Amino acid sequence: MIKKFIHQFASPKTYLFQVERAYKLILYFSIAVYIGSLIWGLLFTQEDFVQGNSYRIIYLHVPASFLSQSLYMSMAVASFVYLVWRVKLAAYLVISIAPIGAMTTFIALTSGSIWGIPTWGTWWQWDARITSTLILFIMYLGLISLHSSFSNYERADKLLSWLVIVGAINIPIIKKSVDWWSTLHQPASITLTNKPAIDPSMLYPLLGSIIGFFGIIISLVIISSKYQILLREKNKSWIKEYV
Amino acid sequence: MKLLSLELLKLKKKTRSWLGPILVFWLIMIAYPLTIEVSSESMEIGFFSVLWISILLSMMFATEDIFTEDYNDGSLEQTLINETSFAYQVGAKVLIHWLLIGIPISILSFIFSLGTTGDMVLSFLILPFAIMSSYIFLNLFVLGNALSLNKGSVLGAIITLPLTLPILIVLGKSITAIQLDINYLGFIFLLLGSLSIIIVSVPLIVSYIIRAHLE
Repeated sequence: MIKKFIHQFASPKTYLFQVERAYKLILYFSIAVYIGSLIWGLLFTQEDFVQGNSYRIIYLHVPASFLSQSLYMSMAVASFVYLVWRVKLAAYLVISIAPIGAMTTFIALTSGSIWGIPTWGTWWQWDARITSTLILFIMYLGLISLHSSFSNYERADKLLSWLVIVGAINIPIIKKSVDWWSTLHQPASITLTNKPAIDPSMLYPLLGSIIGFFGIIISLVIISSKYQILLREKNKSWIKEYV
Repeated sequence: MKLLSLELLKLKKKTRSWLGPILVFWLIMIAYPLTIEVSSESMEIGFFSVLWISILLSMMFATEDIFTEDYNDGSLEQTLINETSFAYQVGAKVLIHWLLIGIPISILSFIFSLGTTGDMVLSFLILPFAIMSSYIFLNLFVLGNALSLNKGSVLGAIITLPLTLPILIVLGKSITAIQLDINYLGFIFLLLGSLSIIIVSVPLIVSYIIRAHLE
């Protein structure tokens, strides 16, 4: 039954009709959650003892950094699914995620730089975390340029999937860079195994902003994948029914 | 063995393909002292950064047309249907490129390091790093060239360079460790581990990529 469901949902047609109902709901709800968390974090939490008000950029920086890596991992999973089971939808998702991943990585880098000026006294430092995130950003751009250089979509999908899988090696490097090297960038404040090293008054709006940002990005991925499906399946008879 | 000698013969005939990258490396290393004030102290400051980047660039040039000729004359398709595993053939191609280009460049690295720092021990320690990094870079650029086959080497370089940056970071850190006389063996093992994974995985991935191109 699960297999049947996956097969059905993996069809671009079913996916397109299913997400049509869901994505607007996700988008509006996520925007509300994100704005609510921002208001809570910016206006109703206290100043940080050391960093003053500058720490409040975490409500943008942390969700963007988290998503930049998560999106790449989801691309790697989708690439694997495409290469092994030849699920077309997975290939569409890979190329749909790439520009959004580049955008979130850019936001993470920019917001990190802005945060760096008051806290570190510099907007850029070639330390392991920042450099590996910059590598991730260049990787995203490389993936987009590789895909766009082929007119044969099927070939482009296959090559892109291989590169995404190979490039996934960068994700554990980014994640562990703060532990493996002595970096200016602080270690993770929220982990699954340890108690958060952040005050609850700051933690809850942060979690809210991560959830809200996550939802917004998911909605953008759905919109982007809808465009990919319409582009690739334009000659199918069911497209007229959809449009 | 027959495959290796065949690849060696093919590469030896294309003098520009193996001599060119070595000359590029040589020229960059000669150009370096010309751009700074010639005193041994100032020379040593940026020397190793220039060295690693020169190795990286030389390896990039070395793989520029590694598959192009075979792709254009159709022999790549014939190789695919050959009895010998295509991944094995890719591995042999990379090995021969490394023997003819990577090893001479590593030896030159030792000579330039000795000439610049005058430190025999340090220069000897550079050798394993140069040998391993050249092989790693070569494999990664082969991957990039396979991905961007018939689309030009610039695209290959753009998509592969980010993958080489962690190796450059490790190389930079290893030099600092050697100079500060702290444990540098960890970096050698790290590179060795990466190399052993890359040697096995890259030819396999490249063979799938080229299949995707020719399908």
